[in-house]
Amino acid sequence: MSAERWKEDEVLLERLRKGAPEAVTELLRLFQGKIFNLAMSILKNESDAEEATQDVFMTVIRKADTFKGNSALYSWMYRICVNTCLMRLRGKRRNDTVSIEEFMPVFTEEGMHASPMDDWSKEVERKALNEELGQMIRKFTDQLSEKYKVVFVLSDVEGLSNEETAQILGLTVPAVKSRLHRARLYLREQLSRYLLEGKAG
Amino acid sequence: MLADYFDGSMDPRLREELDSHIALCEPCMRFAKTYRTTCDKTRELRMDIEYQIPQDVRSRLENFVRSAALKYPEMVKEYRDQAEREQREKVEGLILAAIAGKLSSITALLVETHCAICPVCKVYFDGLPRAGSPAPGAPPTVIHSHVTRLMESLPPGEEFFLA
Repeated sequence: MSAERWKEDEVLLERLRKGAPEAVTELLRLFQGKIFNLAMSILKNESDAEEATQDVFMTVIRKADTFKGNSALYSWMYRICVNTCLMRLRGKRRNDTVSIEEFMPVFTEEGMHASPMDDWSKEVERKALNEELGQMIRKFTDQLSEKYKVVFVLSDVEGLSNEETAQILGLTVPAVKSRLHRARLYLREQLSRYLLEGKAG
Repeated sequence: MLADYFDGSMDPRLREELDSHIALCEPCMRFAKTYRTTCDKTRELRMDIEYQIPQDVRSRLENFVRSAALKYPEMVKEYRDQAEREQREKVEGLILAAIAGKLSSITALLVETHCAICPVCKVYFDGLPRAGSPAPGAPPTVIHSHVTRLMESLPPGEEFFLA
Protein backbone atom coordinates (compact mmCIF):
# COMPACT_ATOMS: atom_id res chain seq x y z
CA MET A 1 0.00 0.00 0.00
CA SER A 2 1.41 3.38 -0.93
CA ALA A 3 2.30 5.98 1.66
CA GLU A 4 -0.13 8.47 0.10
CA ARG A 5 -2.95 5.97 0.30
CA TRP A 6 -2.25 5.40 3.97
CA LYS A 7 -2.19 9.12 4.58
CA GLU A 8 -5.50 9.65 2.77
CA ASP A 9 -7.08 6.87 4.81
CA GLU A 10 -5.80 8.41 8.03
CA VAL A 11 -7.12 11.84 7.13
CA LEU A 12 -10.53 10.46 6.24
CA LEU A 13 -10.73 8.45 9.45
CA GLU A 14 -9.70 11.44 11.51
CA ARG A 15 -12.42 13.57 9.95
CA LEU A 16 -14.92 10.77 10.52
CA ARG A 17 -14.03 10.58 14.18
CA LYS A 18 -14.84 14.25 14.45
CA GLY A 19 -18.22 13.64 12.80
CA ALA A 20 -17.42 15.83 9.78
CA PRO A 21 -20.32 15.55 7.30
CA GLU A 22 -18.06 15.74 4.22
CA ALA A 23 -16.09 12.80 5.55
CA VAL A 24 -19.29 10.76 5.64
CA THR A 25 -20.10 11.74 2.08
CA GLU A 26 -16.60 10.75 1.07
CA LEU A 27 -16.79 7.42 2.90
CA LEU A 28 -20.08 6.61 1.23
CA ARG A 29 -18.88 7.72 -2.18
CA LEU A 30 -15.80 5.55 -1.92
CA PHE A 31 -17.37 2.43 -0.51
CA GLN A 32 -21.13 2.14 -0.68
CA GLY A 33 -21.13 0.56 -4.13
CA LYS A 34 -18.39 -1.93 -3.36
CA ILE A 35 -19.82 -2.92 0.01
CA PHE A 36 -23.32 -3.34 -1.39
CA ASN A 37 -21.99 -5.43 -4.25
CA LEU A 38 -19.99 -7.66 -1.94
CA ALA A 39 -23.00 -8.05 0.37
CA MET A 40 -25.21 -8.93 -2.60
CA SER A 41 -22.79 -11.57 -3.77
CA ILE A 42 -22.88 -13.29 -0.40
CA LEU A 43 -26.49 -12.70 0.63
CA LYS A 44 -28.06 -12.70 -2.80
CA ASN A 45 -31.03 -10.48 -2.06
CA GLU A 46 -31.35 -6.72 -1.89
CA SER A 47 -33.10 -6.43 1.41
CA ASP A 48 -30.49 -8.43 3.34
CA ALA A 49 -27.71 -6.72 1.44
CA GLU A 50 -29.11 -3.31 2.36
CA GLU A 51 -29.27 -4.18 6.05
CA ALA A 52 -25.81 -5.69 5.97
CA THR A 53 -24.46 -2.58 4.25
CA GLN A 54 -25.94 -0.39 6.96
CA ASP A 55 -24.41 -2.67 9.60
CA VAL A 56 -21.03 -2.40 7.93
CA PHE A 57 -21.03 1.39 7.89
CA MET A 58 -22.32 1.45 11.46
CA THR A 59 -19.46 -0.81 12.52
CA VAL A 60 -16.95 1.32 10.67
CA ILE A 61 -18.14 4.45 12.43
CA ARG A 62 -18.17 2.76 15.82
CA LYS A 63 -14.73 1.32 15.33
CA ALA A 64 -13.17 4.27 13.52
CA ASP A 65 -11.34 4.88 16.77
CA THR A 66 -9.83 1.44 17.11
CA PHE A 67 -8.78 0.84 13.51
CA LYS A 68 -5.02 0.58 13.70
CA GLY A 69 -4.18 1.24 10.06
CA ASN A 70 -2.28 -2.02 9.69
CA SER A 71 -4.19 -2.64 6.49
CA ALA A 72 -5.77 -0.37 3.91
CA LEU A 73 -9.14 1.14 4.80
CA TYR A 74 -10.85 -0.68 1.94
CA SER A 75 -9.33 -3.99 3.07
CA TRP A 76 -10.66 -3.45 6.56
CA MET A 77 -14.10 -2.53 5.29
CA TYR A 78 -14.25 -5.55 3.01
CA ARG A 79 -13.31 -7.74 5.93
CA ILE A 80 -16.04 -6.24 8.10
CA CYS A 81 -18.47 -6.77 5.24
CA VAL A 82 -17.53 -10.43 4.77
CA ASN A 83 -17.78 -11.03 8.53
CA THR A 84 -21.14 -9.28 8.80
CA CYS A 85 -22.58 -11.18 5.85
CA LEU A 86 -21.30 -14.59 6.89
CA MET A 87 -22.78 -14.08 10.36
CA ARG A 88 -26.12 -13.32 8.77
CA LEU A 89 -25.87 -16.35 6.59
CA ARG A 90 -25.28 -18.70 9.49
CA GLY A 91 -28.23 -21.00 9.93
CA LYS A 92 -29.63 -19.83 6.65
CA ARG A 93 -27.74 -22.20 4.38
CA ARG A 94 -29.36 -22.24 0.99
CA ASN A 95 -29.25 -25.24 -1.24
CA ASP A 96 -29.70 -23.58 -4.57
CA THR A 97 -26.01 -23.30 -5.29
CA VAL A 98 -24.46 -25.43 -8.02
CA SER A 99 -22.09 -28.26 -7.48
CA ILE A 100 -18.90 -26.93 -8.95
CA GLU A 101 -17.62 -30.41 -9.68
CA GLU A 102 -19.97 -30.79 -12.62
CA PHE A 103 -18.18 -28.00 -14.44
CA MET A 104 -14.58 -29.00 -13.94
CA PRO A 105 -12.64 -30.11 -17.05
CA VAL A 106 -12.69 -33.82 -17.72
CA PHE A 107 -9.71 -35.72 -19.01
CA THR A 108 -9.22 -39.09 -20.68
CA GLU A 109 -6.93 -41.73 -19.28
CA GLU A 110 -4.14 -40.38 -21.45
CA GLY A 111 -4.61 -36.96 -19.92
CA MET A 112 -6.25 -35.36 -22.97
CA HIS A 113 -9.31 -33.13 -22.76
CA ALA A 114 -12.30 -35.42 -22.93
CA SER A 115 -14.94 -32.91 -23.98
CA PRO A 116 -14.71 -31.03 -27.25
CA MET A 117 -12.77 -27.81 -26.86
CA ASP A 118 -13.95 -24.80 -28.79
CA ASP A 119 -12.15 -21.52 -28.99
CA TRP A 120 -14.69 -18.76 -28.53
CA SER A 121 -12.17 -16.21 -27.36
CA LYS A 122 -12.35 -14.15 -30.55
CA GLU A 123 -16.12 -14.07 -30.63
CA VAL A 124 -16.49 -12.39 -27.28
CA GLU A 125 -14.24 -9.60 -28.39
CA ARG A 126 -17.22 -7.96 -30.06
CA LYS A 127 -18.18 -5.00 -27.88
CA ALA A 128 -21.84 -5.46 -28.76
CA LEU A 129 -21.85 -8.56 -26.59
CA ASN A 130 -20.48 -6.86 -23.53
CA GLU A 131 -23.57 -6.08 -21.55
CA GLU A 132 -25.10 -9.48 -22.16
CA LEU A 133 -21.83 -11.18 -21.37
CA GLY A 134 -21.49 -9.23 -18.14
CA GLN A 135 -24.94 -10.29 -17.05
CA MET A 136 -24.30 -13.91 -17.95
CA ILE A 137 -21.10 -13.88 -15.92
CA ARG A 138 -23.02 -12.50 -12.99
CA LYS A 139 -25.82 -15.02 -13.40
CA PHE A 140 -23.44 -17.97 -13.54
CA THR A 141 -21.27 -16.89 -10.65
CA ASP A 142 -24.35 -16.11 -8.54
CA GLN A 143 -24.95 -19.82 -8.48
CA LEU A 144 -21.67 -20.52 -6.76
CA SER A 145 -21.48 -21.03 -3.02
CA GLU A 146 -19.95 -18.13 -1.06
CA LYS A 147 -16.72 -19.98 -0.63
CA TYR A 148 -15.95 -19.51 -4.33
CA LYS A 149 -18.06 -16.49 -5.08
CA VAL A 150 -16.40 -14.17 -2.58
CA VAL A 151 -12.91 -15.02 -3.77
CA PHE A 152 -14.04 -14.53 -7.35
CA VAL A 153 -15.61 -11.14 -6.63
CA LEU A 154 -12.66 -9.80 -4.66
CA SER A 155 -10.00 -11.10 -7.07
CA ASP A 156 -11.38 -11.18 -10.57
CA VAL A 157 -14.10 -8.55 -10.37
CA GLU A 158 -12.61 -6.07 -7.91
CA GLY A 159 -9.04 -6.79 -8.97
CA LEU A 160 -7.49 -7.36 -5.54
CA SER A 161 -4.25 -9.32 -5.35
CA ASN A 162 -4.17 -12.87 -4.00
CA GLU A 163 -2.43 -11.55 -0.90
CA GLU A 164 -5.04 -8.89 -0.22
CA THR A 165 -7.87 -11.33 -0.80
CA ALA A 166 -6.21 -13.83 1.52
CA GLN A 167 -5.83 -11.21 4.21
CA ILE A 168 -9.43 -10.08 3.96
CA LEU A 169 -10.79 -13.61 4.11
CA GLY A 170 -8.33 -15.05 6.58
CA LEU A 171 -7.21 -17.68 4.07
CA THR A 172 -3.78 -18.70 2.89
CA VAL A 173 -2.68 -17.53 -0.54
CA PRO A 174 -2.68 -21.09 -1.93
CA ALA A 175 -6.26 -21.51 -0.68
CA VAL A 176 -7.27 -18.30 -2.46
CA LYS A 177 -5.55 -19.40 -5.67
CA SER A 178 -7.17 -22.80 -5.56
CA ARG A 179 -10.70 -21.46 -5.02
CA LEU A 180 -10.21 -18.75 -7.60
CA HIS A 181 -8.97 -21.21 -10.16
CA ARG A 182 -11.96 -23.48 -9.62
CA ALA A 183 -14.34 -20.54 -9.88
CA ARG A 184 -12.70 -19.58 -13.18
CA LEU A 185 -12.84 -23.13 -14.51
CA TYR A 186 -16.51 -23.23 -13.64
CA LEU A 187 -17.18 -19.90 -15.32
CA ARG A 188 -15.16 -20.80 -18.41
CA GLU A 189 -17.21 -23.96 -18.78
CA GLN A 190 -20.55 -22.20 -18.26
CA LEU A 191 -19.65 -19.51 -20.78
CA SER A 192 -18.52 -22.17 -23.19
CA ARG A 193 -21.83 -24.00 -22.99
CA TYR A 194 -23.80 -20.79 -23.20
CA LEU A 195 -21.96 -19.46 -26.24
CA LEU A 196 -22.00 -22.74 -28.08
CA GLU A 197 -25.68 -23.34 -27.35
CA GLY A 198 -26.39 -19.98 -28.91
CA LYS A 199 -24.72 -21.12 -32.09
CA ALA A 200 -26.42 -24.51 -32.13
CA GLY A 201 -29.87 -23.15 -31.23
CA MET B 1 -0.57 -25.69 -10.25
CA LEU B 2 -2.33 -24.73 -13.43
CA ALA B 3 -3.47 -21.69 -11.51
CA ASP B 4 0.20 -20.71 -11.23
CA TYR B 5 0.63 -20.98 -14.98
CA PHE B 6 -2.15 -18.49 -15.61
CA ASP B 7 -1.08 -15.98 -13.01
CA GLY B 8 2.54 -16.09 -14.07
CA SER B 9 3.94 -17.61 -10.90
CA MET B 10 4.82 -21.01 -12.31
CA ASP B 11 8.40 -22.24 -12.18
CA PRO B 12 9.99 -21.00 -15.47
CA ARG B 13 11.19 -24.42 -16.65
CA LEU B 14 7.81 -25.98 -16.05
CA ARG B 15 6.16 -23.09 -17.80
CA GLU B 16 8.37 -23.52 -20.82
CA GLU B 17 7.41 -27.17 -21.02
CA LEU B 18 3.75 -26.32 -20.77
CA ASP B 19 4.10 -23.58 -23.38
CA SER B 20 5.68 -26.06 -25.79
CA HIS B 21 2.90 -28.56 -25.23
CA ILE B 22 0.19 -25.96 -25.72
CA ALA B 23 1.78 -24.77 -28.96
CA LEU B 24 1.32 -28.24 -30.40
CA CYS B 25 -1.94 -29.28 -28.81
CA GLU B 26 -5.10 -27.76 -30.23
CA PRO B 27 -7.52 -28.56 -27.40
CA CYS B 28 -5.10 -27.27 -24.78
CA MET B 29 -4.47 -24.12 -26.80
CA ARG B 30 -8.20 -23.47 -26.96
CA PHE B 31 -8.57 -24.17 -23.28
CA ALA B 32 -5.80 -21.73 -22.42
CA LYS B 33 -7.26 -19.05 -24.67
CA THR B 34 -10.76 -19.37 -23.34
CA TYR B 35 -9.49 -19.44 -19.75
CA ARG B 36 -7.61 -16.21 -20.28
CA THR B 37 -10.53 -14.62 -22.06
CA THR B 38 -12.81 -15.56 -19.16
CA CYS B 39 -10.53 -13.70 -16.77
CA ASP B 40 -9.93 -10.71 -19.03
CA LYS B 41 -13.58 -10.24 -19.79
CA THR B 42 -14.57 -10.50 -16.15
CA ARG B 43 -12.20 -7.71 -15.25
CA GLU B 44 -13.20 -5.61 -18.23
CA LEU B 45 -16.91 -6.01 -17.58
CA ARG B 46 -16.89 -5.46 -13.85
CA MET B 47 -19.33 -2.56 -14.10
CA ASP B 48 -21.87 -4.89 -15.72
CA ILE B 49 -21.15 -7.72 -13.29
CA GLU B 50 -21.27 -5.71 -10.09
CA TYR B 51 -24.65 -5.18 -8.52
CA GLN B 52 -25.31 -1.47 -8.71
CA ILE B 53 -26.70 0.01 -5.54
CA PRO B 54 -30.27 1.21 -6.25
CA GLN B 55 -31.08 4.85 -5.66
CA ASP B 56 -33.54 4.24 -2.82
CA VAL B 57 -31.06 2.02 -0.99
CA ARG B 58 -28.46 4.70 -1.49
CA SER B 59 -30.70 7.41 0.00
CA ARG B 60 -31.66 5.34 3.02
CA LEU B 61 -28.04 4.41 3.56
CA GLU B 62 -26.96 8.01 3.42
CA ASN B 63 -29.55 9.14 5.95
CA PHE B 64 -28.71 6.28 8.23
CA VAL B 65 -24.97 6.77 8.09
CA ARG B 66 -25.11 10.53 8.39
CA SER B 67 -27.22 10.47 11.53
CA ALA B 68 -24.93 7.85 13.04
CA ALA B 69 -21.84 9.85 12.14
CA LEU B 70 -23.23 13.14 13.38
CA LYS B 71 -23.83 11.58 16.74
CA TYR B 72 -20.36 10.12 16.78
CA PRO B 73 -18.55 12.75 18.86
CA GLU B 74 -21.19 12.50 21.63
CA MET B 75 -21.33 8.77 21.34
CA VAL B 76 -17.58 8.22 21.29
CA LYS B 77 -17.29 7.36 24.94
CA GLU B 78 -20.28 5.08 24.72
CA TYR B 79 -18.93 3.38 21.58
CA ARG B 80 -15.58 2.89 23.22
CA ASP B 81 -17.09 1.47 26.39
CA GLN B 82 -19.31 -0.77 24.34
CA ALA B 83 -16.40 -1.97 22.25
CA GLU B 84 -14.39 -2.72 25.38
CA ARG B 85 -17.30 -4.53 26.95
CA GLU B 86 -17.85 -6.62 23.83
CA GLN B 87 -14.20 -7.48 23.65
CA ARG B 88 -14.08 -8.47 27.33
CA GLU B 89 -17.12 -10.68 26.83
CA LYS B 90 -15.55 -12.36 23.83
CA VAL B 91 -12.30 -13.06 25.65
CA GLU B 92 -14.11 -14.39 28.71
CA GLY B 93 -16.29 -16.47 26.43
CA LEU B 94 -13.25 -18.04 24.86
CA ILE B 95 -11.76 -18.84 28.26
CA LEU B 96 -15.00 -20.42 29.44
CA ALA B 97 -15.15 -22.47 26.25
CA ALA B 98 -11.57 -23.58 26.90
CA ILE B 99 -12.52 -24.70 30.41
CA ALA B 100 -15.53 -26.61 29.09
CA GLY B 101 -13.43 -28.22 26.39
CA LYS B 102 -15.60 -26.64 23.74
CA LEU B 103 -13.12 -24.67 21.69
CA SER B 104 -13.35 -25.15 17.94
CA SER B 105 -10.43 -27.14 16.61
CA ILE B 106 -8.90 -24.13 14.89
CA THR B 107 -9.10 -22.07 18.06
CA ALA B 108 -7.73 -24.88 20.20
CA LEU B 109 -4.80 -25.17 17.83
CA LEU B 110 -4.18 -21.44 17.90
CA VAL B 111 -4.25 -21.42 21.69
CA GLU B 112 -1.93 -24.39 21.91
CA THR B 113 0.51 -22.89 19.45
CA HIS B 114 0.47 -19.57 21.25
CA CYS B 115 0.98 -21.15 24.68
CA ALA B 116 3.93 -23.08 23.32
CA ILE B 117 5.76 -19.80 22.79
CA CYS B 118 4.19 -17.64 25.48
CA PRO B 119 4.99 -18.71 29.05
CA VAL B 120 2.56 -16.24 30.63
CA CYS B 121 -0.41 -17.61 28.69
CA LYS B 122 0.75 -21.16 29.18
CA VAL B 123 0.70 -20.73 32.95
CA TYR B 124 -2.71 -19.10 32.76
CA PHE B 125 -4.35 -21.68 30.53
CA ASP B 126 -2.76 -24.62 32.33
CA GLY B 127 -3.97 -23.19 35.62
CA LEU B 128 -7.61 -22.79 34.58
CA PRO B 129 -10.10 -24.49 36.92
CA ARG B 130 -11.94 -27.61 35.81
CA ALA B 131 -15.44 -27.42 34.34
CA GLY B 132 -18.01 -27.13 37.09
CA SER B 133 -15.80 -25.07 39.43
CA PRO B 134 -16.67 -21.41 39.84
CA ALA B 135 -15.74 -19.46 36.72
CA PRO B 136 -12.52 -17.45 36.92
CA GLY B 137 -12.81 -13.67 37.06
CA ALA B 138 -11.67 -11.33 34.34
CA PRO B 139 -8.27 -12.39 33.02
CA PRO B 140 -5.17 -10.24 33.52
CA THR B 141 -4.58 -7.52 30.94
CA VAL B 142 -1.75 -9.34 29.22
CA ILE B 143 -3.83 -12.49 28.75
CA HIS B 144 -6.70 -10.36 27.51
CA SER B 145 -4.56 -8.71 24.88
CA HIS B 146 -2.95 -11.97 23.71
CA VAL B 147 -6.29 -13.71 23.41
CA THR B 148 -7.68 -10.69 21.55
CA ARG B 149 -4.92 -10.89 18.99
CA LEU B 150 -5.38 -14.62 18.70
CA MET B 151 -9.09 -14.18 17.98
CA GLU B 152 -8.28 -11.63 15.31
CA SER B 153 -6.47 -14.29 13.34
CA LEU B 154 -9.52 -16.52 13.13
CA PRO B 155 -10.96 -16.56 9.62
CA PRO B 156 -14.05 -14.35 9.11
CA GLY B 157 -17.27 -16.04 10.20
CA GLU B 158 -15.37 -18.60 12.25
CA GLU B 159 -16.64 -19.07 15.79
CA PHE B 160 -14.22 -19.95 18.56
CA PHE B 161 -16.57 -22.44 20.19
CA LEU B 162 -18.02 -25.70 18.97
CA ALA B 163 -21.68 -25.15 18.19
